[in-house]
Amino acid sequence: MSSPDGAPHVVIRSVSKRYGPLTVLDRVDLTVARGELVTLLGPSGCGKTTLLRLVAGLATPEEGAIAIAGRDVTRVPPHRRNVGVVFQSYALFPHLTVAGNVAFGLAVRGRPREEIDRAVARTLSLVRLEHLGSRRVSALSGGQQQRVALARALAVEPEVLLFDEALSALDRNLREDMQVELRRLLREIGATAIFVTHDQDEALTMSDRIAVMNGGRIEQLADPKTLYARPATLFTLGFVGQSTRVRGTVAAAADGVVTVDTPVGRLSAMGHFAAGSPVVVAARPEHLNVVADAAGHDGGDRARNRVDGRVRAVIFQGSRSRIEVEAGGETLLAELPGRGAADLRPGDDARLVWPVAETFVYPDPEARP
Amino acid sequence: MTDTAVRTPVTAVTRPDNDRWLTLGFAAPATVVLALLFVLPLALLLVASVAGPAGFSLAEYGRLTTPHYLGVIWNSLRLAVLTTGIAFAIGYPAAFALARARGVVRSALLATLFLPLAASVIVKAFAWTILLRSDGIVNTVLLALGLVDEPIRMIFTETALIVGAVNIFLPFMILPIYAVVAQLDHRLVDAAATLGASPAVAFVRVVVPLTLPGIIAGVALVFSLSVSAYVVPTLLIGERYPTLSTTIAKAFLLARQPAFGAAAGVVLLAITLAAVALSARLGRSGGSR
Amino acid sequence: MTARLAVAFAWLAAVVTVVFLMAPLATVVAASFSPSPVFDLPLDGVSLRWYERIGRLDGFWPALSLSLQIAVLSTAIALVIGTLAAIAIVRGRLPGAEALATALVSPLMMPGLVLGIALLQYFRAIGFTATWSALVLAHLIVTLPYVARTMIAGLALFDFTLVEAARTLGCTYAGAILRVMVPALAPSFLTAGLFSFLASFDNYPVSIFLTDVRTKTLPIKMLQYIEEAPDPTLAALSTLILAATVILLVASDRLIGLHRMAGTAE
Repeated sequence: MSSPDGAPHVVIRSVSKRYGPLTVLDRVDLTVARGELVTLLGPSGCGKTTLLRLVAGLATPEEGAIAIAGRDVTRVPPHRRNVGVVFQSYALFPHLTVAGNVAFGLAVRGRPREEIDRAVARTLSLVRLEHLGSRRVSALSGGQQQRVALARALAVEPEVLLFDEALSALDRNLREDMQVELRRLLREIGATAIFVTHDQDEALTMSDRIAVMNGGRIEQLADPKTLYARPATLFTLGFVGQSTRVRGTVAAAADGVVTVDTPVGRLSAMGHFAAGSPVVVAARPEHLNVVADAAGHDGGDRARNRVDGRVRAVIFQGSRSRIEVEAGGETLLAELPGRGAADLRPGDDARLVWPVAETFVYPDPEARP
Repeated sequence: MTDTAVRTPVTAVTRPDNDRWLTLGFAAPATVVLALLFVLPLALLLVASVAGPAGFSLAEYGRLTTPHYLGVIWNSLRLAVLTTGIAFAIGYPAAFALARARGVVRSALLATLFLPLAASVIVKAFAWTILLRSDGIVNTVLLALGLVDEPIRMIFTETALIVGAVNIFLPFMILPIYAVVAQLDHRLVDAAATLGASPAVAFVRVVVPLTLPGIIAGVALVFSLSVSAYVVPTLLIGERYPTLSTTIAKAFLLARQPAFGAAAGVVLLAITLAAVALSARLGRSGGSR
Repeated sequence: MTARLAVAFAWLAAVVTVVFLMAPLATVVAASFSPSPVFDLPLDGVSLRWYERIGRLDGFWPALSLSLQIAVLSTAIALVIGTLAAIAIVRGRLPGAEALATALVSPLMMPGLVLGIALLQYFRAIGFTATWSALVLAHLIVTLPYVARTMIAGLALFDFTLVEAARTLGCTYAGAILRVMVPALAPSFLTAGLFSFLASFDNYPVSIFLTDVRTKTLPIKMLQYIEEAPDPTLAALSTLILAATVILLVASDRLIGLHRMAGTAE
């Protein structure tokens, strides 16, 4: 029905949160457009859940402001924010039935009986649980409980839906199904939603944009494709997707391309660094091609990096294979689709070839200045 | 509207962490009650027990070391040890049966534990005075079975006292043991069997250590309850078997010797505290094994 | 073979326990219907005459009324302050939370008699002579451990996210506590209340030191009746108390299940 229309709906301005001496959030900015699905992705302790709790009103920031649908809610308690939260534990009320749980928000608001009944029926059918309204919540499966929690949050027609690791308690297959279904459902009703997760697959599947968080800050905010293809920091690179990396020193820089001396040889990458800077060169394993015959046929191609080495291991993973290649004392990782690695054996000489355009370079975090 | 929100100026506000005050406020009433009505009175009791006419004095404790009162302390300990031992002998296997029982049987068994637990101690002690009379049911049954030739005197004997005490404190032995046995992973016993342990060995080497926390809790509870029992000795044996409890009561209610009563009270308190501390210590070392 | 013997032994112990525990209760019930003033069992007939006499026991009604007042009031106060303390212990980052928890439960392991004489001397020392108030305060120490123990156990299993969920759904903080936490913890409240009430109603060793000639609780009166003139009237009274206890237990079982009480009570 709708996709993000660009109007700012949830606006987080320079928000900080401290617990005692610990700074959990450090001047975070984030704007979520109406109808947009945004994920806060990061390891535990990065501040993502705290940020969600600030939006829900379950915690208050020391600094900064939060606005929802054009209203400053920074000091507004949760019950007057009109948000819908789906908790990791679902937090279903054990003393109420499924319908009682879904009706809770409207009953608290004092809505008339018929209106509540209609809303309960509508939201339960939305999550395809219309036949279970009279059940006790303890009699439901994990997936069903998750849907009840979603229906309960939807029933109050919230300005924004907040999901705190909402799918992480489900087992893998069910979780993947729910990701797709949930995204379709949220699109259908035009919901604005913020997800919190540590699961990169969930983030990539569900979101219009992903905010990768680390140490109380947003490292990068981008759509899933950009995030994966152009990770802005070494942290994002490491947290989203696989990577292979090697440390080195910039030998020369020109036209946005740096040449780096590394133990595996001289590599080129897209980036701006002064000569002599310690850096980390990285690439996605799927961009690395393995050429068994090292006799170069693309010898002069400046748009590609080449590393000659020896195959150390070939790991078959069903739809793809991982190949570890040793060169100059370092191990690089390549990933070949299908049976592309069928004729490779450990000990074989191999040449790794990959585009300079897909080679990233970051400042070396461990280097002494 | 949207624009004003977007332009909301950054406000630097520091709020006190009122969570902490809320927590302290929640804990305060119970803490005050405990301090004023429990800690302070006990401290005062301790002071009273060493307060002689001319300041500090251990004279009242000295009186407790006379042969008569050493006998009284011995009576209390003997009652507690016998009661605890017999209650354990019956209660430990019974807890296993309770844990094995399912459905209606288990509900019925639990009910037979809870009902006496909920019933008044005085009611139960009174019932035993009826049961143990020379023309009471126990004698009638013994006579009918030909076990005795003439009614035996039971009421106001040590037998009556122990029977009554075991009866009243038995549920306190069974429940903690049951709580542990019910959670016992029976696969561990099976595992012991697959490792070549005979049932007897598996029981001693696996089941007993695993149920030890329950045993310790039950034994400590029954011991500290029976060592300080008052109603049971009063009704079932009376003056013939003075205990610390009856001595304390007499000192306050009849003899008007509060200092001596306080000293006896401190001794009784020390005995129960020692039992509790010992059980806590054993429980901890048992748990860390 | 050994295993079977062990199981048989366990069941034998269980049967002995049941008979042994039920014997005194069955005895008072039977004796209460005795037609003669002596407790001849088996009965040669059934009579309700002793039940009629309960009300005529000297000082019975004031004692019953006093015991009920004190049990209800001390249980109610203990439920409130014990629950608040349990929340602070389980939930808050309270310094010394564990010590407070131990302290709250510790009167349970303490001889009631010692508590009684300690309070007697204390109240005397501070010149507090109001018997009724002294009994309520003393019974607070009797009931508080039951509440603290049960509520700490119950709250430890309570998911506080439920309160947050209710708040985001439109409840104020107080509203969330009342609409979600209280109903979800109802079994714990009921168990705590039941045990507190019974502990107070049945208490002898603490009360005996705090009563005066005119103000006596029911257990004290009953022991006095038994020592003075034991007749089946007392059995009738005991039967009625037992019946009330059974009704309380059955009602609790209907509401929450005894196995849960066994789990949270110990």
